[in-house]
Amino acid sequence: MNSKINPIFFVACQQCDALYDKPQLKQGQLAKCNRCGSTLIERKVDSIERSFNWSLAGLMLMLPAILLPIMGVTLAGQFHQASLFDCILVLIDRGFFMIACLVFLFAIAVPIVRLAGALYISYSFKFNKLKPSLLNFFRAYHYLDNWAMLNVFMLGIVVSMYKLIDDTELSVNLGLFAFVFWLICSTMSAAALDQDYIWDKLERAFPRSCANEHC
Amino acid sequence: MNTAKSKGLSLCPKCHKLNSLTTEPQQCRRCHGLFYQRKRNSLQYTLAWNVAALIAFIPANLYPIMIVYQLGIPSDATILSGIGEFIDHGLYPIAIIIFTASIIVPLIKIIGLFVLVYKAHTGIRLKPNKHSKIYHILEFLGPWSMLDVFVVALMVTVVELGFVTSVAAGPAINYFTITVIFTMFAANSFDPRLLWDKKADKKTTEQALLPSDKLLENLLGTLPEEKGQK
Ligand SMILES: [Zn+2]
Ligand SMILES: [Zn+2]
Repeated sequence: MNSKINPIFFVACQQCDALYDKPQLKQGQLAKCNRCGSTLIERKVDSIERSFNWSLAGLMLMLPAILLPIMGVTLAGQFHQASLFDCILVLIDRGFFMIACLVFLFAIAVPIVRLAGALYISYSFKFNKLKPSLLNFFRAYHYLDNWAMLNVFMLGIVVSMYKLIDDTELSVNLGLFAFVFWLICSTMSAAALDQDYIWDKLERAFPRSCANEHC
Repeated sequence: MNTAKSKGLSLCPKCHKLNSLTTEPQQCRRCHGLFYQRKRNSLQYTLAWNVAALIAFIPANLYPIMIVYQLGIPSDATILSGIGEFIDHGLYPIAIIIFTASIIVPLIKIIGLFVLVYKAHTGIRLKPNKHSKIYHILEFLGPWSMLDVFVVALMVTVVELGFVTSVAAGPAINYFTITVIFTMFAANSFDPRLLWDKKADKKTTEQALLPSDKLLENLLGTLPEEKGQK
C-alpha cells in the first residue's frame, strides 16, 4: 500500500508531520495544519516582484548603512562618532577579535548575503534566467535563515543610546536612518520570498535527471 | 491522524518537498540534498549543546562583561551589576529589556529545552500542541539574547574618548556569546515532530484495537482551512 502513494498529491506539516491532500491555493491564501496550527503552504502576492524591489533597495542602502556614522558622543569637549564599519575596526584594533567576528557575521555578512541571494533568485525568476545551479543556491540560502540579527542589533543601538544619554551628549547621525531602512528592506525581502512557489518552479524547470535516479 | 512517516513519506527539511522514503539518508528529488526522516540523534544533540550552553553560562555571569575606564581608573561590571546600575539610575525599561535578553531568555531556553527533551523521551504528560508552541517561542527568542553583546560592542566603539572615558569588553562576553550560539544549536537540533510521534505511539499502544475503518475515516476528514485575502 505504501508504495502506491504518490507524494505529489500530498503535503506534510513541517512541524508535526501530519499528512494532507495538497490544497490548490490562489495568491494570498495560506493553508494551516489542523493539528498544530503552523502554516502548511502559503502563496504570497507578487512574491518575485516584491522581493526583487525590496532586496534591490536593501543592497543600495547597504553601503550608507555600514559606512555612515550611526551615532556620536561628546564628552568634556571631545567628539567621537562611529559607524558599523568603525565598530569592526575598533574591536579588532583593541583585541576583541571574537566580538568583531560576531558583529561582522551577524550584522553585516549574513544580511548582505541574504539580500544578495534574494536579489539573485528574484532576478533569475523575473527575467526567466533559471539555471540548475539555483537549486543548490536556494538550498544554501536556507541555512542562513536564523542567523541574520539586524533587528537585534537595532535594539542594541537603542539600548546603548539610552546608556549613553545619561552622562554624555549624544548625536544621532544619518547612518542610523540608513540602518533602519536597511533593516526594513532586508526583513521585507526575506518575508516576500515565496519559497514554495520558487521550489515548485525550479522543480518543473529541472526535472531530476536520470543520472541521479536508481535506474 | 495520518502522518508522512506512517505512509512511508518524508519531508525534505530544506525545500519542504515530500519524498517517498526508500533509503536513509534519502536524496531529495527536488533539491538533491540528503536528509533523514527525523533529525538524527536529535535528543542527544540537543542535550549535549544544552549542557555546553549551561556550563558556558556560569563564567558568563561571574566575569565582568564591560570595563569602563574613567580618567584611567577601571571599573568592572558583570551582566547583573550592569542591570543594577540601570535600576539605580531609574532606567527601568532598559533594565527590564537587558535582564530579559541576557538572563531570562538564555535560562528559559536552556530549561525549556531540557524539559522538551525529557518529555519527548519519556512521553510523561506530553501535550504536543502546547509543547511544540513552547518550542517555537524558544526558537524565536534565541537571537535576541545577543543583545548585550551588541550593546557592549557598540559601547566599546562609540565611547572612545582617549583618556577621558573609554570602554573595554570583559572576558564574560566571549562566554556569553558561546552560551547564546550553543542554545541556538541546541534549538536547531531539536525535532518537534518527535513530540507528536511519541504521543501517537502512546495512543496506539493504549488503544491497540481500533477498527481500521475508523482509522481511515480519521485520515480522510482533514482538510486544510483557508484564509481568504484580496
Ligand atoms: Zn502540523
Ligand atoms: Zn529538498
